[in-house]
Amino acid sequence: MININIQKQLQGSSGAMELNVDLHIKEHSFVALAGQSGSGKTTLLRILAGLEKAAGVIDVSGVLWQDEKKSVVPQKRNIGFVFQDYALFANMSVEQNLLYVNKDRELAKHLLMLTELSELKDRLPNTLSGGQKQRVSLCRALMNRPKLLLMDEPLSALDPGMRTKLQHDILMLHKEFGTTTIMVSHDPSEIYRLADRVIMLEQGRVIQEGTSKEVLLHTRGSQKFSLTGELLDIIKADVIYIAVVAIGQQIVEVVLDEAEASSFKIGQRVQVNTKAFAPSLSH
Amino acid sequence: MNKMNAVITAIESFEGITIVSFESASQPMRMMALELDETLQVGSKVLLGAKASNIALAKGALEMLSISNCLDTVVDSVENGVLLSSVKLRFGESLLISVITRDSSKRINLQPGDHVTALIKASELSVLEIKR
Repeated sequence: MININIQKQLQGSSGAMELNVDLHIKEHSFVALAGQSGSGKTTLLRILAGLEKAAGVIDVSGVLWQDEKKSVVPQKRNIGFVFQDYALFANMSVEQNLLYVNKDRELAKHLLMLTELSELKDRLPNTLSGGQKQRVSLCRALMNRPKLLLMDEPLSALDPGMRTKLQHDILMLHKEFGTTTIMVSHDPSEIYRLADRVIMLEQGRVIQEGTSKEVLLHTRGSQKFSLTGELLDIIKADVIYIAVVAIGQQIVEVVLDEAEASSFKIGQRVQVNTKAFAPSLSH
Repeated sequence: MNKMNAVITAIESFEGITIVSFESASQPMRMMALELDETLQVGSKVLLGAKASNIALAKGALEMLSISNCLDTVVDSVENGVLLSSVKLRFGESLLISVITRDSSKRINLQPGDHVTALIKASELSVLEIKR
């Protein structure tokens, strides 16, 4: 079990806030940290890595990484860290980037083979694509067989096709190395595919914890199809009303009756709900 | 969204599909759903919802209908538009709205005071709220 009980004062986007979490994470699990930007996700990851100070206790399977008296330095925490912007050494080849962490040539060869990078081992990072760089970064993070693999939005700079490929690699390596993985992510498809648990942070606190379906499936009573949007307009048409709602990058229309139409205001945040039986899919 | 108070009288589940039976205004109702909130049980009070455009109307005798919800209602008012009609119905203490084509409204000659059956498919009925 990994027990994390930490507190830290932060300057959030909307003033001062306290990061205050008490988490118990099972070994070998894959946890997604979700929540709006400024909710404390990245700070929590950096505190686990020892890159930032905080009050409290971090206990990783009986080994204390920090308590009131001491804080183990990052190099001795047995973690792997994958950053959004890769953070590779530009003047070292792919292989040298891996060997910098640990001189185990066999492990480096094995990792590069698993991620189909063997042929690129002598290349410099700036000659690689974004997806290749992130795969190198992932391999490097695993070179000291970390107990805890920490990833801060590892796929957010990549295009959708490359994301799917990397999701597959991340899951394969997570299983092969038996790490406990904590990944900051905003992307529901990524969270659904990879994580067994989702922890939702808001203003430095855990507001929800559960399986991806429990946390991400928004419902309204028995209606399982629920999207949040902004009400742009209500137009009267014959004896009914048509509401125009912006959801993400799109606009949808919803038919309202007279009583519904009079109960909403233009500009309001609204939820568009229907039963899972009503929508159909096309491609 | 039309709203009706109801009490759960039975819950059947199989492989993530649930059929819930209710009583509302002394009349039986049924809903088809996926997994439900675990706090729902027989005796729970809920608010049911149905879209106005998902309520069909019938006058006279009904035979052999697959529709689960056939509610006895009384027409309160009929607003005829150019193409559509909005029909207000008294159902127990609730006032329901049904939106149908004006042609249909004329064809069955809907008038205030008429006894009509409001038809709602089980898949188009929802639980909006659980009453605590």
